[in-house]
Amino acid sequence: MASANVRKCTEKSLCRGQTEEDDAEQEHDSDCESTSSSFNSSDYSNDLEPEWLDDIQKNGELFYLELSEGEEEAALAHAANQGVATNHVRFSEKEAEVITEENKKQRCSSWTKGEPPLKRLARILRRKRRPSQRRVGGKDGGKDNSTLSSPPASILKNQPGQRQGVMVQQQQLKEVCVYLNPKRLGGSSTPLSDSGGLLEALLGVVHRPSWSRGQADSAGVRQEERLTVHGLIPNSPAIKCGQILIGDVLVAVDDVDVASENIERVLSCIPGPTQVRLTLETVAQVDRSNASDTSSVHRTKASPPVSQLVRLLWGEDTAELQMSIRHIPHIVMYLSLKLDSASPQDEEEILYKYPVSEASGQLKGVRGIFLTLSDMLENVTGGRILSSSLLLGNQLVHVGYWKQSNNLLVIGLPADRVPLLYLQTVVGDVVRTLKVMYGSLDSAFCKADHAPRLDHFFCLFFQQLIQPSRLRDGSSAPTPDVSGTLFLDGLPAVQWLTLPPEIKMEVDTVLSDFESSDFGEMSEDFFGLRRLYVILGSCLFYKSYLIANHLPKDDLLDVCLYCQHYCLLPLASEQRVGQLVIWREVFPQQRAKGSSTAPGYSQPQGRHFLLIVGLRHFMQCVLLEAGGAASTALGSPGPDCVYVDQVKATLLQLEVLEAGIEERLNAPSAPCLSCADWFLPAATARDRLDSLASSSPVFSKIAGAVKGSSTGNRGRSLFGEKARRSSPQRSLSDSGSEGQMDAGSGSGSSMAPGLSPHSTPDSGRKLGGRRDSLGSGGSDGSGGSGGLFKIPRMKHPNPFYLGTLKKTLTERETEEMYNTMKLTSGAENTLFHYVLMETVQGIFIAPTNREVAQLSGSIHPQLIRNFHHCCLSIRAAFQQSLPARGRRAADRPQGAGWGLGPVKEHGVLFQCKPENWTDQRKPAPTMTYWVIGRMLLEPVPQEFYVCFHDSVAEVPVEMAFRLSFGLAF
Amino acid sequence: MIMLQHGSTQLICLTASSGVPLFTRGGSKQLPFSVIGSLNGVHMFGGGQGVVLSCCETEGGGKVVWRVFQDSVMLIAVSGGEQGGACSSKEEQVRLQRLLENVWSCMVLVLGQDELTNVRNVERLKRDLRSCFSLIDQLLEERQEGIMGNLTYCADSLLPPNPTLLQEAVDGFAQAADSEFSCLIVHGRIAAATEKWWRLAPQEVVLLSALLRSFSAAGSASCDYPVFLPQGSPTVAHRLLRFQLLPGADVCVLCGPTPSLHRAESGLVGRFWTPLVETLRDCLAVGERCLPGSVSLRPDVLALLLINRETRRSVSCVRTSTNHLLGDPLLPSKARCWELLKLFYIFSTTRYFTQEEILCALPEERAQRGNTEDFVLGFSHQPLQCYLVTEECKSYGLQTPQHQLFLLIPLSVPTFALRTVATQTLSDIVAATGF
Repeated sequence: MASANVRKCTEKSLCRGQTEEDDAEQEHDSDCESTSSSFNSSDYSNDLEPEWLDDIQKNGELFYLELSEGEEEAALAHAANQGVATNHVRFSEKEAEVITEENKKQRCSSWTKGEPPLKRLARILRRKRRPSQRRVGGKDGGKDNSTLSSPPASILKNQPGQRQGVMVQQQQLKEVCVYLNPKRLGGSSTPLSDSGGLLEALLGVVHRPSWSRGQADSAGVRQEERLTVHGLIPNSPAIKCGQILIGDVLVAVDDVDVASENIERVLSCIPGPTQVRLTLETVAQVDRSNASDTSSVHRTKASPPVSQLVRLLWGEDTAELQMSIRHIPHIVMYLSLKLDSASPQDEEEILYKYPVSEASGQLKGVRGIFLTLSDMLENVTGGRILSSSLLLGNQLVHVGYWKQSNNLLVIGLPADRVPLLYLQTVVGDVVRTLKVMYGSLDSAFCKADHAPRLDHFFCLFFQQLIQPSRLRDGSSAPTPDVSGTLFLDGLPAVQWLTLPPEIKMEVDTVLSDFESSDFGEMSEDFFGLRRLYVILGSCLFYKSYLIANHLPKDDLLDVCLYCQHYCLLPLASEQRVGQLVIWREVFPQQRAKGSSTAPGYSQPQGRHFLLIVGLRHFMQCVLLEAGGAASTALGSPGPDCVYVDQVKATLLQLEVLEAGIEERLNAPSAPCLSCADWFLPAATARDRLDSLASSSPVFSKIAGAVKGSSTGNRGRSLFGEKARRSSPQRSLSDSGSEGQMDAGSGSGSSMAPGLSPHSTPDSGRKLGGRRDSLGSGGSDGSGGSGGLFKIPRMKHPNPFYLGTLKKTLTERETEEMYNTMKLTSGAENTLFHYVLMETVQGIFIAPTNREVAQLSGSIHPQLIRNFHHCCLSIRAAFQQSLPARGRRAADRPQGAGWGLGPVKEHGVLFQCKPENWTDQRKPAPTMTYWVIGRMLLEPVPQEFYVCFHDSVAEVPVEMAFRLSFGLAF
Repeated sequence: MIMLQHGSTQLICLTASSGVPLFTRGGSKQLPFSVIGSLNGVHMFGGGQGVVLSCCETEGGGKVVWRVFQDSVMLIAVSGGEQGGACSSKEEQVRLQRLLENVWSCMVLVLGQDELTNVRNVERLKRDLRSCFSLIDQLLEERQEGIMGNLTYCADSLLPPNPTLLQEAVDGFAQAADSEFSCLIVHGRIAAATEKWWRLAPQEVVLLSALLRSFSAAGSASCDYPVFLPQGSPTVAHRLLRFQLLPGADVCVLCGPTPSLHRAESGLVGRFWTPLVETLRDCLAVGERCLPGSVSLRPDVLALLLINRETRRSVSCVRTSTNHLLGDPLLPSKARCWELLKLFYIFSTTRYFTQEEILCALPEERAQRGNTEDFVLGFSHQPLQCYLVTEECKSYGLQTPQHQLFLLIPLSVPTFALRTVATQTLSDIVAATGF
């Protein structure tokens, strides 16, 4: 790597010193344990400054997102998906797009395989890096699409010399947009091509300077050498765009004039993946049709190669996304209830509004209603207004309100996206996020310069609610349904990934080390300075799952709301983050209130900063405090390189654990899950299901279970999760059980003449899993969770109550339950899905995306959607009863108006049928399943949602509630 | 300062076009006119902008629901909510929406649609509307326990011990009175009715029952009252003849100009109903249980509401604590049981079970009601049963193609047994009565 860089540098003397410094830094980066290299960037500010330095806003905020090497591939898959799956309004030429995607993919693979490494060169020529790219687009949105328009006058003016003589034909300038990613160069080991430099490596344009084409040809005009395209490298951005032709002359890159002297420098200044606009001089040619053809190709090129979400986060392209939902009424307004008649202006009561569209204009038009109602109803019913429902045409819109002193926040959302039941949660979350980011609603909305940022904020907000699929399409994770997003994001908790204890311990140790702020000679102590910041705590995400948290719950939730809002969690789970650095001042709600309960202790009045650093799948959020114990922050400080580097170092240090975490992610889910499709015989009628044991995987599993139980422990060891993933050697080694297994599945298949071929492995597989759980159920207490919640001991412990679980279950109980389960048809694992929220810690656990994906099935995703939708209702029932709790029964008014009272548990039984049931003679087979939610207040507040097949006996259900999470005894 | 008491509901009626207040009912104190004007004003303003305001919610469960009927009458219901905010808002909202529909229908029932839509003289209309007040107040206050029809749009029924005798008598009586519409009402619930009576729109049946109850409460022995059927004949009045057979048992007939009240009372009532006095007494003895003695309810059913989705009839009852576990103090009171049953019905139907009348409602009405049904449509699989465990009792609801059953069950019954209790109760009742 280093050698490559050096080689490259020798070619470009200008860059040499720089690059070596870079290499040093690079080594420092990779060698993370030793924090001993160069102290800080201020010493070498020109050389060592991090890539994100330019993106720091005036107010110190930073949002730097850079996609990783693997990102491009994902992005391309993305784009391909967009073409097929989404309603890409503007880009109708599907074919063209698909074709280019293929090209892109090839190219991409070639890049990742064979391209030389090239550490991003520092910017000597710090070209403006489209400032809009990080910040709100709006104005910028159309830019990318207007590329084939007339060439900019500036170039014509600036290039007078170029047109003399050489080309006789009529010259014409064209603009081509290509997506370049210098990051991608860094990964591989092949050296840069000898002479091509970045022009070849990055852009894929082969230019042979005249002297190298043969001395005879040498024209002697060395300076002002024009960059004629002599060739194109296969699968490069240049050839892929289809518009750069051999013979064209590259005139400018992003309006910067280029020639052979400066092209390398200019290209080296491209800091990260971005789209650049090339201006090319070409021979006037092309008949009409050809022109339109290229233009269409070009337009598809202009379509985002990276996901909409990333583009949105970069602040590009909001216009198109916004256009696609402009017919859906939605609005956010911040209205003033105080009318200052002294300065009559148009719409002066509107302090902020977004978006500007016809449908929202209608809602804006009736803001008088919102103002009047909010003012009046408080007096009438004695409570602040929460929501109202309006009909726009035949579209129902729910409007949520939030009143803050003299101002009123109004958010209107279509009812089919956000049910009224959940509107309050949504509005509450937005308000809290805004408060975390800006301190208060007033400070968020009342500053004029916040408007573009708020536009961006609410663009994200509405996009996530109204067209989440558009935003995340093509991601590896299944796109969450609206209900699922609403439900999971609405939980005051973060999804937690349980880790094996040794990994967990290491993670915690590394985090603690970091939090101790003991940065050695990097720390301020070393220099006898007062600390800049006190690290209040940090939390660590891996692929969107929280794996360690050293933050108090309220701070965690604040941080998490921010991450959720900016979709950082899904982003990290998609292997898309090369580097993420976010820095901003935050106002943690709990600390802002300053309500410390401990006597003699008061919260230090400090300012707080949130630092989020992401590297690949890891993301660490650090909450820092200035003031108090640390020195007071003045003005709006930007991110401190030392702290950023330290977090990076921590993350790099953690990367060794990645394998272990991945293993955990790949392991079968800890409470064993079943797929809904297994319970629904695809082509067999219900009666046959009963008579033919094996045609139903369920039934065969029961049969297997009975046999398995006789073998006891052996069954477990054999047909554990490993057997489930078919490990032939192991099962062969134990002949006894192997025979059993064979007998089980063999008899199954012999009994099922009509068995569809694909269902056999299913049942066999299930048989294995089944035995495993039952075997453990018989063997000991902790495994007594049995078919319902199999917890492979020690390996992936339940985060909460494994200890109590073991204690509370006596041998006899286990035996009893085991017997009950064996007696009922519920003996096999019937759990489909679950969510457990732990309110005190602010975390929840649920099957990971991968676990769900492993189950596949056609009905299962439907079932999960339904589950989430039902959970919305269940949780709403819990929520509305919360305020009522705590009042003694005697205080309750007798008679009317008191509502249903506090809800502890709520369940709904659903029935599903396979879709497209064509058999007229027989009724479609049905499968019924429960979705049950339970709220527990003792010993710690928890909410628990499960979804399981109806066949399970109800006693085990009761047991499951207690068992799995060891409560309610 | 709070203008509306907690837990009370005020109904405001105005002319839609001019905003003249026609009447207000309910609530201890009328809202100030400025408030009424503003409430009407915001809705009118929205209408001008193409935005129809349908409801509003405040902290603590306060609710305002607007509805304009036939572009002529605006009804606004304001509910004060609950101190401490324990009220389940969605349930309250549905209740208010039903209330507005019922009030409008009841205005049509009494005055006819023409008089309401073509208002020539507002003052006269105001005067005329007074005749609706008793009925409206009944709807507003829900004075009589155990009447669920206002909510379910299913006629509250009573299953008599020997239905065939009564059915024959009602059929014969109707025929003799030259009508096809007749029914027997016992304890405010329909014990028997002619085929055609059941063919009336469910809401009409419910309202007629309410009207008859209000007559019955007034204590007159018989009456002859002109009614418009809100859906069947909103512009042409029919005569509703009502006769008291025994205290608590009334028979009525919906007829044209003949027969006169006197002739029917003297000639027909005696002829058809005197022989059945004993049967009627048996019927009265059924009382609020609504189910004949042949149905033995499981002891662990606190209250039940059973709806026949095809015939749009419902049976409901609450066990009084005397015959249940000797008045366990932990069990909710009878009034509370009725309330819980209603709330659970709304809870289940707004979230999980479909309501038939939404399907038969007019398209524009469906749009206005839209916000009550949007959630149900979000399910990809069909909900069949649901249960709720609260601090007071357990509730269980189940839906079959023909029936909907809602049960309240004491907390002492384990949750896993609820389903058995419910299915068994349903099959017991259906087997014993053919309901």
